Amino acid sequence: MNPFSPANHLLLVILTPLVGALAAWLLGSRGVSAVRQSAAVTTLITLAGAVLLILRALPEVTAGHAFAVSEGPWLVDGPFDIRFSLGLDGLSIWLFGLSALLSVTAVMVSWEAIKEKPVGFYILLLVLESAMLGVFAARDVILFYVFFEFTLVPLFFLIGIWGHDDRRRAAVKFFIYTLAGSVLAFLGLLTIVLWNASHTGTLSFDIATLTTGLAAHPLPMDAQGGWLQWWVFLALFAGFAVKVPIVPFHTWLPLAHVEAPTGGSVDLAGVLLKIGIYGFLRFSLPMLPEATAAAAPWILGLGVVGILYGALVALAQTDLKRLIAYSSVSHMGYCVMGIAALEPVAVEGATLQLINHGLSAAGLFALVGMIYERYHTRSIANLGGIAARAPWLAFMFLLFTFSSIGLPGLNGFVGEFMVLLGSFQRAWGGVAAEWRTPYLTMAVASVAGVVLGAWYMLWAVERVFFGASRQPPAHDHADHGHAAPSAAEHGADGGHGGHGGHGHSHAAAEPTDDLRWYEWVALAPLALFVLWIGLFPATFLGPSAVAVRTAMAPGAAAFAARMGAPHDASLPQTAQADAATILPGAAIVPSDPPLTAGLERIP
Amino acid sequence: MQSSAANLLVLVPLLPLLGAIGTVLLGRRLGPRAHIPAVAGIGAAAVVALLLLLGTAAQVGAGHGDPLRPAEPVEMITTLWQWATVGDARSGDLAGGLSAPVAPGAADSGGTFSIPIALRLDPLTATLLTIITGVGLLVAIYSIGYMHDDPGYPRFFALVAMFVFSMSMLVAASNFLLVYVFWEAVGACSYLLIGFWYTKPEAARAAKKAFLVNRVGDFGLAIATFLLWMTYGTLDFHDTHLADGTIVEGILGQIRLADEAGYVGGAVGTAICLLMLLAACGKSAQMPLHVWLPDAMEGPTPASALIHAATMVTAGIYLITRSAPLFVGCPGALTMVSIVGATTALVAALIATVQNDLKRVLAYSTISQLGYMFVALGTGTMLGFTAAIFHLVTHAFFKALLFLGAGSVMHAMGGVIDMRRFGGLRHVMPITAGTFLVGAFALAGVPPFAGFFSKDEILATLHAKAHPEAHGSDHAEAGSAGERPRDLAGGVGLVASVPVRPFRPGSMITRVSLSDAHDVSPEAHDVSPEKVGLDALDHPSTWRLLFWMSLLTAGLTAFYTFRAVFMTFTGPVRVPKEAGHHAHESPPAMTTPLLVLAGLSALAGLVLFVTNALSNFLAATPSLTAPAVARTAVPHVFHWDIAIQGTLAAAIGIAVAAIGHLGRRSDSPQLERYLGPLGTLFANKFYFDQIYAALIVKPLEALAMVTAFFDRAIVDGTVDAIGQVPLAWGSAIRRMQSGLVQRYALAGVVGVLAIVLALAWQLRP
Repeated sequence: MNPFSPANHLLLVILTPLVGALAAWLLGSRGVSAVRQSAAVTTLITLAGAVLLILRALPEVTAGHAFAVSEGPWLVDGPFDIRFSLGLDGLSIWLFGLSALLSVTAVMVSWEAIKEKPVGFYILLLVLESAMLGVFAARDVILFYVFFEFTLVPLFFLIGIWGHDDRRRAAVKFFIYTLAGSVLAFLGLLTIVLWNASHTGTLSFDIATLTTGLAAHPLPMDAQGGWLQWWVFLALFAGFAVKVPIVPFHTWLPLAHVEAPTGGSVDLAGVLLKIGIYGFLRFSLPMLPEATAAAAPWILGLGVVGILYGALVALAQTDLKRLIAYSSVSHMGYCVMGIAALEPVAVEGATLQLINHGLSAAGLFALVGMIYERYHTRSIANLGGIAARAPWLAFMFLLFTFSSIGLPGLNGFVGEFMVLLGSFQRAWGGVAAEWRTPYLTMAVASVAGVVLGAWYMLWAVERVFFGASRQPPAHDHADHGHAAPSAAEHGADGGHGGHGGHGHSHAAAEPTDDLRWYEWVALAPLALFVLWIGLFPATFLGPSAVAVRTAMAPGAAAFAARMGAPHDASLPQTAQADAATILPGAAIVPSDPPLTAGLERIP
Repeated sequence: MQSSAANLLVLVPLLPLLGAIGTVLLGRRLGPRAHIPAVAGIGAAAVVALLLLLGTAAQVGAGHGDPLRPAEPVEMITTLWQWATVGDARSGDLAGGLSAPVAPGAADSGGTFSIPIALRLDPLTATLLTIITGVGLLVAIYSIGYMHDDPGYPRFFALVAMFVFSMSMLVAASNFLLVYVFWEAVGACSYLLIGFWYTKPEAARAAKKAFLVNRVGDFGLAIATFLLWMTYGTLDFHDTHLADGTIVEGILGQIRLADEAGYVGGAVGTAICLLMLLAACGKSAQMPLHVWLPDAMEGPTPASALIHAATMVTAGIYLITRSAPLFVGCPGALTMVSIVGATTALVAALIATVQNDLKRVLAYSTISQLGYMFVALGTGTMLGFTAAIFHLVTHAFFKALLFLGAGSVMHAMGGVIDMRRFGGLRHVMPITAGTFLVGAFALAGVPPFAGFFSKDEILATLHAKAHPEAHGSDHAEAGSAGERPRDLAGGVGLVASVPVRPFRPGSMITRVSLSDAHDVSPEAHDVSPEKVGLDALDHPSTWRLLFWMSLLTAGLTAFYTFRAVFMTFTGPVRVPKEAGHHAHESPPAMTTPLLVLAGLSALAGLVLFVTNALSNFLAATPSLTAPAVARTAVPHVFHWDIAIQGTLAAAIGIAVAAIGHLGRRSDSPQLERYLGPLGTLFANKFYFDQIYAALIVKPLEALAMVTAFFDRAIVDGTVDAIGQVPLAWGSAIRRMQSGLVQRYALAGVVGVLAIVLALAWQLRP
């Protein structure tokens, strides 16, 4: 057996953090630096392994196949067929890579911040990494669920032990809320398994088998069948919606973020929130298409509400970390909207947006942690003028801010734009006449979120980074404090600048509090991907395209059958009428082919 | 030739980009010479842009001299890479969507959401590239003197080069999505330049305001882009010839341009145009989104010059000109462009009359002059579009000159810019004073300076719309000249022969009504049943009003310009004490650009008008070869009556300014005391900022507070209340927090198992 076979490679990548955790435990007696160094090395090795694996996987995955599939027997006695089955496909490949990437960031931002009980901290962080990698690689329902639950436990302790003042309440709330949701989701998944078993005779837990099985024997979506599909959908929705989180199931998130240590926030915002959307794409859309189609308008609505609601609440925050937590709620709204639009462009955009938000939110949370370490406050009112003291920190914050508010050329724009484009497309020609106005309204309203998003983020940037310094300088540079006002004076004297030797008179402007080397390691890779995805999104869109298409096809077909546009309508009727009356002979857009036509070709 | 031109075209944005990167990388090492990479990059780009302009002009060549002979469209496209491709993007499309017969306006002509990074070269782009890089270069050279010793010196030059790069890409992009990309990138650059002195709270606030107000405009462009995609099935300007021989019709491609019925009008078309107008209002600082521009002068003065003259504000003009075929199909939206422009021009001019801050006067004059360009665009005629670009060019020269002159004054006066504290500065800084005076003549529209000619063309095109009967003779000539068959499409020939008709708005997009009965007299369409809703605005009486508003604005412009000149440069010498030892003429790095711009401001208008070179050149821009635009071409004549009216207005304005301010101390009582409450209204800028604060900002902030409270008290409160039920039950073991959770986990698992068993029993095979 080839030890470097793709399947072994994948297993190795998932297990490496566990080995690292063991090493950290053994090195525990040697003190903080040995532990954190071993954790850093572990995450870097894991990242390298993951990158290699992704490079190996790209050709297969791009073609729409799963890669590195392994099928270890696990619990195959009796009627059960639960396998330790792993593999990557277009849906999971980038999320898998993101998990490995952000784990490095999570370790690096904890470098100086975690001095208390470091062994436990790094062990939990590495176990969390393993679980995150496992969730996206699992090809078996039970395995998926085990990894899914296993992400909760390390994070619960990370928040509960290394968190801030209100950490206990935050940890308990986070745990119970998400557990309650995921237990319901598990119930739904089991129902799917049992339904499939009742039709095929084998009790298979394999996700691919279940997907084809349910396509052949869909769960009943009528009164006769007890609306079973609908109930299963709601059960899955409960689990995934809490995880995303979809408004109004989001209130655990700001609390957990604010109280979590920076490393925990990075993983939470960067990866764990993505599992919700991933779940929708992996299970709800392909397995429960009719229920998804029936719920799509309402989920789309919740997505739009989330965008605007999250942005408005963010606007009222006084705590920088809380503001970014609510911005996550708002930005995840775009992902929700994208999958609910059930248009190829939108769903692909939403998939990319998962990665984008993972990068920008993780970067912003990491930066807030760095600010907190320096000035021991997160209150926007108590911060100010950081740009003068830490120009590169300010630059990075601005970069991730621009990424987050969707500035073109950076990653956030691509996903956002595709989601919005797809939503407009759905509203324009993809829904029945009576749904057109609500859909268009929702699409336009979500674009307004782009303006609100820029508002609260730039407001925060202005307060925290620009203007005169308000907070005392970082403790180890206390002697420079008196020079702070001169920076403000310099700005005020405007055009002619300080003639003569300001090099000495502007000591406060010296970048005394700027990024340290480990902070560069945490942020630079994220910044690189922010630019890469922004400039060459095709690199990342391509490999997921077929898998995303396949996953959404049943849902889109069901949607078209349920409330798609009638065959002869493309432009809004009013527009056609107007064009005809005002401009005789004006071009009337010919009708679209029926919506289902294109989907039949997708296997 | 094609490929070398393509390579050159790529260089125009690339060189400033490399300059910016070089400045960032080498800035610290170069120290006081950190400007070298940026200036070299922009300078080289300017040379390349000039070469491209000459090359394009040579290609257009044949069209010279006869404005009535429709020009052959000239364009060149070069595609760098595919940005994003989502094949079969519309779920409703068949894979064969691309090979389906291409129908005009068909949404299914391009089912693939494919965004090429494609650049284009045509007369409009070549003209703007030259202005952007040329004026950008002069501003950058000036900044060497102005910004010396600033601690952010390298950062400034990197940003200027980035700004030039973004703006060049904006005008060179051949795709609406790319335009949107650089539309926002320009906004980001301006954010960083306005907030350059970020320790100054006003600068940080002004930067944020500029970005947010622009974002409102971007909102419009985003939705317009979505609607364009939905309507035309592509976002490309140009036609794409696929490998399999099929053609994807671009929105502004030559096939669709030649097709009289190629564009969607009605509600959808009007919506697209109005959303684009919103976007243009944001970038070009037109009402109601003009509020960011006056505050933007918190940035360094060269940055203001760049924003006001070469980059940023011209983006809106460019967008509408480029989209001319879309706009001419929607007379209502087109008229709105003029109404917005004329109103903005007048309101901004009124505000400028009472400002005492020299840069603020210039800022409002920019808004006002951009309003002029909008008025011209809104006429929807060939003369209107070319006059707008003509004015854009001359304005770039004289406004850059005036801003840099103001910067020179500010530099010498120790950062003071309040005109009431100046006097007789012509004795202190003669070059600045002399060049500023040239700029003032150009802005005021005094013959033969540049502004006079471009403004005259704008007034002429308005007059033609207001008095169609008086200009009938022009059109008659046009008619007879245009009787010969035309082949606009350069060989595609979907419309083989369309006789040139008198311009009549209602019939522009129609294919059949050209032979209908109801087209002849201009009066006839007053009662035309086609005119409903917004389109009813397109009426000679509207245009008459707009003409008089513009003429009044011309007088006001001359007044406030010379008020500023007299206050600053004449009278007894008064220098504020902040000036210290700086009170002398600026260094050559600053005065040389002033002299060059003064030369251009003095001569460019005359040369371009007499030869009519710019208009003939622009007429070959594909967008302007659309039949609906091309048939409105009129002979190039000098309208003495309009020129006299415009000159009179300027003369009156200057005379009033002279009476009020010439030879007086600038802090003596001013003319505005005669204005009474109106003066207060003008001085407070018509209370726009206050109205927005009261109507939008405060309510939204209040809503945010309410939402946050709702989130805390209601949403989270409900969650906590539900959570209390089991917590009360488990209060006995509350002390052991983790134990509690484990118990819940256990309970959960037990519960799940129970349900699983029950289900398994139910569903057993």
